[in-house]
Amino acid sequence: MGSSETVATPTSIEDRRGWFTRTLALFCLGCTAITVASGLAQVTFGAYTMSVSDAWRTVFDPGVVFNLRFWNGFLLGGDLPEMSPEIVVVWTLRLPRVFVGIIAGASLAVSGAVFQAVTRNELASPFVLGVSSGAGFAVLMTLVLFTGLAPFLPLIAAAGGAAAFLLVYAIAWKGGTSPVRLVLAGVVVNMVFQSLQRALFFFADDIGVVQTAIAWTTGSLTGTGWEQVRIAILPASIAIVIALAGARQLNVLLLGEQTAASLGMRVERVRFLLSGVAILAASAAIAVAGIVGFFGLVVPHIVRNVVGSDYRRLMVGCLFAGPALMVSADVGARLALDTVQMPVGVVTGLVGGPYFLYLMRKQQSMGEL
Amino acid sequence: MARKNANAEPERTEEETRVTDGDGAVVKSALVGDDLALSYPSTDGTVVDCARLDIPEGAVTALVGPNGSGKSTLLKALSDRLSPDEGDVQVLGDDLDSFGKKELARKLGVLSQENDSLESISVEDLTYHGRYPYRGFFDGTTAEDREAVERALDLAGIDHLRDAELGQLSGGQKQLAWIAMVLAQETDVLLLDEPTTFLDLYHQFRVLETIRQLNEREGVTVAVVLHDISQAARFADYLVAMDDGELYDWGPPEEVVTEQLLADVFGVEATVEYEPELQVLPRRALPDDRT
Repeated sequence: MGSSETVATPTSIEDRRGWFTRTLALFCLGCTAITVASGLAQVTFGAYTMSVSDAWRTVFDPGVVFNLRFWNGFLLGGDLPEMSPEIVVVWTLRLPRVFVGIIAGASLAVSGAVFQAVTRNELASPFVLGVSSGAGFAVLMTLVLFTGLAPFLPLIAAAGGAAAFLLVYAIAWKGGTSPVRLVLAGVVVNMVFQSLQRALFFFADDIGVVQTAIAWTTGSLTGTGWEQVRIAILPASIAIVIALAGARQLNVLLLGEQTAASLGMRVERVRFLLSGVAILAASAAIAVAGIVGFFGLVVPHIVRNVVGSDYRRLMVGCLFAGPALMVSADVGARLALDTVQMPVGVVTGLVGGPYFLYLMRKQQSMGEL
Repeated sequence: MARKNANAEPERTEEETRVTDGDGAVVKSALVGDDLALSYPSTDGTVVDCARLDIPEGAVTALVGPNGSGKSTLLKALSDRLSPDEGDVQVLGDDLDSFGKKELARKLGVLSQENDSLESISVEDLTYHGRYPYRGFFDGTTAEDREAVERALDLAGIDHLRDAELGQLSGGQKQLAWIAMVLAQETDVLLLDEPTTFLDLYHQFRVLETIRQLNEREGVTVAVVLHDISQAARFADYLVAMDDGELYDWGPPEEVVTEQLLADVFGVEATVEYEPELQVLPRRALPDDRT
């Protein structure tokens, strides 16, 4: 359903000797089912009540689905035609939020998977490597200090994420990088940027800005609409397509640096470029959904447990599992409490934290650490 | 009778890139190391200092020497993984730096020692990675790739293991899988860093036989670091003996392997028999104070 899936299909069906296994196919189907079910739940329930059948009829209303003027309004920001209240609620309030969840979920999952291969460390994620906190800091700066720059938020988030990652890379660089040094440098840079983020709160002069800022740093899909879809869809799609195409490079990287080099790979260059792609994906997600903690770390692990660690499968799995988890977590975040909507990051953190602990207990050795 | 230092040999001069084998026939060198001085960024001082090293084309050359004598370091320099402080390396007559990365990987295959990281990859998938230097970023596999992979699996004798995951295999089978990967690279020259260390006897032979077959059937030049001097003496066409970062001696095993060499380089007292075939019988370690 989400546009991020449609871009995946060409890369996944081409190609050779059955790496697209039954397990993977079933996994993707299952994830799609969860995404669709959660999406429909999201669309159906809420303050403006409607019956399940009404909601579904609105979602699949041919008058909207096949009306180019609507899509022009949604995707390009043109004027929208006259709409019934149901269509307004479903198509302009609830459905875009689901799409944002799909885009953000897929981007973060793919980004985490790429980072884990690039650093050859199972603990790596945009969060651990400083990208999230860097992008978050940049976003906060924009929200609090440079409000005029708000239209460029995704660019700014990407720049912040890239800057933080470059900083991490530079700190970890010593004639080459090592997974352990990358993670340690990431922790340090993370800490610095988080302190900076907190410091920024003191410059916010009204409580609304602080609340927005907190929602940002926790990761929230509240109030996202077609504008966020428009912001994120292009960078996310580009990043995901390149990441999927680069799955084989990631597999070769996993063979070890020396082997990859002896096979003719320019290891540092490939590592750097794919990191760039992962930053782009993470930044696209952060720009619209804030910093959804643990997501980029946990989703690749879940997928790996099911489909194995071949990156061609893992990437496709992440592309489907990310949206499923993000959208279903967002249903929980929006509907669990009657009175207030929680940021989705709270839910993913609550699920991700224990899962992380479970991983630590289960695994004899964690990555290269 | 042992030549103290092959560098001093008069018949090899700077210009002469050809060496002669035992029968006096001219042998071309697939790999040449010229005036090499090698060191690691993390350590002070030169680790390897070697005036001239030849890996003859179409032959199997074994690099031998005790731990820390610089065999692996030398191999790294020959395979573009360590750039020399001084001197240069020529591959098939051209300077090492003149090759693109992938271009080099189509000429020169390397199997390093570190191959233990991956568990969940299948043997076939691993072998396909050997085709990396032939494929562009968006390319799929071609019929040629498939043929090369089949040949490699066949030559390594692990056709029946193609679907097994690396984690399920024994150390020896794993090594054969890695060898299949470098075979799929279809290079003219193959460098192997201690491919038999830590393997049981059966798999040591399997690995060496695979290498030998590759050399005989496809004429691939092989340079291999071997731990075991008696194994190297039986197996290789040429030996390069390294001692403390310098080339101690170079030539066919019958000329290189002497009791003197074993005492000087390996620090062991040994009997060397030349009839009916070359055999090394180590007796005991020599006292440490020899210098």
